[in-house]
Amino acid sequence: MSAATRRRMMRFASQLGTLFCAALLVSPALFFFLWMISLSLKLEIDNGAYPPIFIPTHIAWKNYSGVFASNNFFLYFWNSIVVTGTATLLALIVGVPAGYGIARMKASKSAIVIMIARMTPGLSYLIPMFLIFQWLGLLGTLAPQIIIHLVVTVPIVIWVMIGYFETTPLELEEAAMIDGANRWQIFSQVTLPIARPGIVVSLILSVIFSWNNFIFGVVLAGRDTRTLPVAVYNMLSFEQVSWGPLAAAALVVTFPVLVLTIVAQRQIVAGLTAGAVKGG
Amino acid sequence: MAAVTLSHVGKSYGAVGVLHGVSVDIADGEFVILVGQSGCGKSTLLRMIAGLESVTSGDISIGDRVINDLPPKDRDIAMVFQNYALYPHMTVRKNMEFGLKLRGTPRAEINEKVAHASAILGLESLMERLPRELSGGQRQRVAMGRAIVRDPQVFLFDEPLSNLDAKLRVHMRTEIKALHQRLGATVIYVTHDQIEAMTMADKIVVMHDGRIAQQGAPLDIYDRPANLFVAQFIGSPSMNILDGQFAGDGSAVFITDKGVHILLANVPAENAGRPAKIGIRPEHIMLNDSGIAARVIVTEPTGSETQLTLDVDGHELVVLIRDRVDYKPNDVLKIGLAQNHIHAFDADSGSRLTL
Amino acid sequence: MTLASAGERRASQQARRLSGSRKVGRISYWPFVLPALVVVSAVVVFPWAFTLWMSVSEWKVGEPYHFVGFANYLRLLHDQRFLQSIGRTLLYTVLSVVAPMVIGTLAALLFNEKMPARGLLRGIFVMPMMATPVAIALVWTMMFHPQLGVLNYLLSLIGLDPQDWVFAPDTVIASLVMVETWQWSPLVMLIVLGGLASLPADPYESARIDGANAFQRFWYLTLPMILPFLLVAMTIRMIDALKSFDIIYAITQGGPGTASETTNLYLYSVAFAYAEIGYGSAIAVLFFLLIVVLSLVLLHVRELSGRILGTTK
Repeated sequence: MSAATRRRMMRFASQLGTLFCAALLVSPALFFFLWMISLSLKLEIDNGAYPPIFIPTHIAWKNYSGVFASNNFFLYFWNSIVVTGTATLLALIVGVPAGYGIARMKASKSAIVIMIARMTPGLSYLIPMFLIFQWLGLLGTLAPQIIIHLVVTVPIVIWVMIGYFETTPLELEEAAMIDGANRWQIFSQVTLPIARPGIVVSLILSVIFSWNNFIFGVVLAGRDTRTLPVAVYNMLSFEQVSWGPLAAAALVVTFPVLVLTIVAQRQIVAGLTAGAVKGG
Repeated sequence: MAAVTLSHVGKSYGAVGVLHGVSVDIADGEFVILVGQSGCGKSTLLRMIAGLESVTSGDISIGDRVINDLPPKDRDIAMVFQNYALYPHMTVRKNMEFGLKLRGTPRAEINEKVAHASAILGLESLMERLPRELSGGQRQRVAMGRAIVRDPQVFLFDEPLSNLDAKLRVHMRTEIKALHQRLGATVIYVTHDQIEAMTMADKIVVMHDGRIAQQGAPLDIYDRPANLFVAQFIGSPSMNILDGQFAGDGSAVFITDKGVHILLANVPAENAGRPAKIGIRPEHIMLNDSGIAARVIVTEPTGSETQLTLDVDGHELVVLIRDRVDYKPNDVLKIGLAQNHIHAFDADSGSRLTL
Repeated sequence: MTLASAGERRASQQARRLSGSRKVGRISYWPFVLPALVVVSAVVVFPWAFTLWMSVSEWKVGEPYHFVGFANYLRLLHDQRFLQSIGRTLLYTVLSVVAPMVIGTLAALLFNEKMPARGLLRGIFVMPMMATPVAIALVWTMMFHPQLGVLNYLLSLIGLDPQDWVFAPDTVIASLVMVETWQWSPLVMLIVLGGLASLPADPYESARIDGANAFQRFWYLTLPMILPFLLVAMTIRMIDALKSFDIIYAITQGGPGTASETTNLYLYSVAFAYAEIGYGSAIAVLFFLLIVVLSLVLLHVRELSGRILGTTK
């Protein structure tokens, strides 16, 4: 065997080893989600079988049609969209300019408020906010959840945008200044268009973490104002526990987020890495 | 077009002063280069003229207006940045139009000016491209185009060539100089590269530690550096400097600290015995069989000339000669110094002494 | 022109220049920050002030406010359920920091290597972190089922005894930590991967030329250089583990009994199940202080290690 062949084989073997380790590492996640799909597609008989059955003997689409047909599903789905959508939109409107201002003022220290927001357990906000919403008579509406979701979305947006604006060169803004732009023209016509990738990252992260939020809804949501995570949790308590429909509902709730994760993996990784490292 | 006057311009950040009483008169249509090492304040000065930095003291005037307090957009200037500062989300055309649009220039006039500038710079075929689709030299040209369409009174350049490779830099140097001659505009140009300064400028302002070390025409500065800093900064390879003192007996001789006697053309009587430094440019030392003995340390041929590093009784001297020579290390040869080209500087202040 | 008027004119010029210079050089960015400042004050700062005010009261929903000073805090010192919850939270946190740190760091080192389908594998690995916590908690609950759950089946395949997982007091914490680790190792991986990506290549090439083997390169080069990132990951992981709620609440509600009742869950019960606003607020304040203190300790470690290693971050 020549040295070159041997070296090639060694490299192949080490690549194979790496791949094997990676597969091992990924297997819990992969198994979990496959099992989740399997549960959601099986009849109760299959789900109750021991030893467990992986491939459904009969595909139970009715688990899914049951979720969509349940009278309140679309209401809860709509609630989730309204809460996440509004909280994210508001966060972008106040957070993007704030990230810009903080980055340009080199006032990263002011971000300590955001640190505190990150360190505070969500429940701590809930006690005072719950009382205030009660006084204001807002508890039957979606407004309380939208407002309190800002606790999640605004810091994410500001955080990501500070990092982003710190990397956009000041020279461009100076050039625009000399070209005759005033400060709003500079922001809207130069800075904002350049920051679009950063805005997309913060939008995605804000949507995901707002969509996933459970704790705020548990306390603030009434019967008609539940978001999907709260609604699916309530299925557990109020209906007799049948695994197929429950798994189907769980999958439906998390499906949009998983799709977003797969589609926008690169942006999410970039945003979380930057945000997290700064977040320390 | 307009003249620019800096009178006693100072800048400080809190207690830290970065510019101290800088005064320069720039004539209408003059090409002035601010040159110095990094941190000497040249870029700050340019940014103050642009309105990107505030003026702490003194006055800056363009034409007969004092512009200290005017925002950049009202100063009628255009600037080319070191990293070009092209708007990455706009095409070349949009980049060039931006300033005119903000000023509400009529569409027809915008089109005419952009067409004119792109023709001058040969950018016609690139107008719909984005900056990231351009080469470094093309971006440089777009940045200049953006300045030209504005038809400003003064062009400011902040190290515009420092991001280009060596060959392109030489080419763009010629191009900018040709452009200046064609437009006849007043140009203020910042660089740390003294060759750029020498080749392009009508007037060089050498800056050092926030002060003007010398200003004047390039060859005047080269031939008569006002102080030790300028002497060593301008010219490449830089001037040889020897420490020592003038002979005490009034003869035209300089005695170095290693005891080498150097004959000068003349030493004023009042300088007899005075400690000083003398300087001589590498091209003003030549081979001379009746001169001083020197040992070869390094030979560096460039093709057109040969740079020798020599040891003369412990002094290291750099010599530039036109002839092809083939000396080996430790060869001994004889050199002579061109007496008329020897500069002398005060040992303490570094300022020029008349010989 | 008199001397006085000339002097005055110069003074006014001076004043104009001073006020003008500020405008020219630096434009104000406050208008950009102001809206966010208002929002953050309303949803972060104000609730905190309100919480502090409530924490010195005896206040139940529907009853009038009644100032009691530090009575709530003193009561906490004798509240066995609270003290036990603190101990449980610390145990849960230590385990939920260590396990994801180890697995996440290994994953980062692995995903930093070139391999086929790296993006896909990394994407799958990251999915648990992004998925809706309640949804995955429901599925985990099914998997933990002692009779029908797939986990006990998997144990039986490798010849181990079935476990009661989250349904027994002895194993509930470990089981929850397992879910937490599964869920959050990806975040550690991403942070450390970011650190690895920022490492310069030259020292590795020079070390290779110097004859360092793979382990030596890791120990003497990689580890010291990514240490700041490890500590950042650790800090974030610690904060998140301390305030973990969704998974525990959705899987066990703190049970069986109070075997998995962390401070955050106890806080929930006091404030929203028993409606004791004042007492709940006091717990919230102390709990937050605990998080701050532990974070500061880690921050201190970070600076110290940075100084020792000569790295600044």
